[in-house]
Amino acid sequence: MNKKAVILGVIVVAIVAGIAASVSSSPSETVNLDMGRTHGTISTAMGSAILGDPSAPITIVEFGDYQCHQCYNWFHNTKPAITRDYVETGKVNLVFVDLAFLGNDSPKAAQASYCAEDQGMYWDYHDLLYNSQEPKIDGGWANSERLKAFAFSLDLDMKLFESCLDSGKYSKRVQYNIQQARDNGVSGTPGFFIVGPDEQQQISGAQPFSVFKQILDSMI
Amino acid sequence: MMQTIKLVFSNFKYVFLSSVIFVSMMIGLLILSEYIFLEPYIVSHLPSGTELGFVLILVISALSALVIPMNIFRINILKSSKQKMGGGIVGSIIGASAGACSCGPVGFAVISTFGSVGATATAFLTNYEIPIRIIAIAILFAAYFTTVKSLKIECNVHS
Repeated sequence: MNKKAVILGVIVVAIVAGIAASVSSSPSETVNLDMGRTHGTISTAMGSAILGDPSAPITIVEFGDYQCHQCYNWFHNTKPAITRDYVETGKVNLVFVDLAFLGNDSPKAAQASYCAEDQGMYWDYHDLLYNSQEPKIDGGWANSERLKAFAFSLDLDMKLFESCLDSGKYSKRVQYNIQQARDNGVSGTPGFFIVGPDEQQQISGAQPFSVFKQILDSMI
Repeated sequence: MMQTIKLVFSNFKYVFLSSVIFVSMMIGLLILSEYIFLEPYIVSHLPSGTELGFVLILVISALSALVIPMNIFRINILKSSKQKMGGGIVGSIIGASAGACSCGPVGFAVISTFGSVGATATAFLTNYEIPIRIIAIAILFAAYFTTVKSLKIECNVHS
């Protein structure tokens, strides 16, 4: 009887420890595991994790390139107000899809963001890239060494990150996203689709907050 | 110098031409460089950190509007050589091309059409946008002074 109780106890402890371990290693953001995910006409299955409340009624799909200076302008001038007024209030969520076309380092930077996603740090890495952007395309700020240095600065597991980036694990994912941009008629970065419950509106370029506000308010 | 300008722009035709060049060039470049958006609403936007690019566009548009009509005046009125149009036109084209080929539709179309060659060209034009615009302004200034000097001499000869 005592032997059975000990075995049962060990099993219970193992299960509890397993659950505790899985909870503690869960990333602070949701990784996109929905391979059929779409927003309006756009397949965002290979895009970023959702920023904000996944059940928000409106989604902003951003097509961008980490070397694009207009994307940098939008990130710094418009996105903060959208995040404050719409994403953090649960009215809107945001998905980033790569249109990495501006230089040789662009696809690699996009792949690196997904290597960071593997460790639950997609949006931290995404933000770090836009905060670190330098004016010159392919000027070296987003080469492999710098991408690894960014990962190091976020305390990512470097062995995992380097093997992911060097192997080109997410090369096809980025290519799929670029094809989505072409299929949906995106002709430059940043390009946006605001997808509401009943309609979808396209915005081209790093437009000011007032434009997004007008469209979002009309959809809410 | 002012006399030469008065001579050219005393004719309303050249004032009109100058206005058309200035307005169309300025609006075109501001749209290409994403200072003005036409869709979904007409809106202008000057993001922080892009003020210098905006000022350079205004200067290039103004100089083009000054130099090109003066050269056309030379050709029409004084029947001068068309070769001397070169400076004004070249300066305007160089100034217009800088920065137009970056993240926007023009850059995407160029890269999609010309592949890696297009990518290299657009990267160059984007990376050196400000220096290229400054070179274009220098060319336009040189064309302006050359045209004024030339008009002074030719007007004296013809008068």
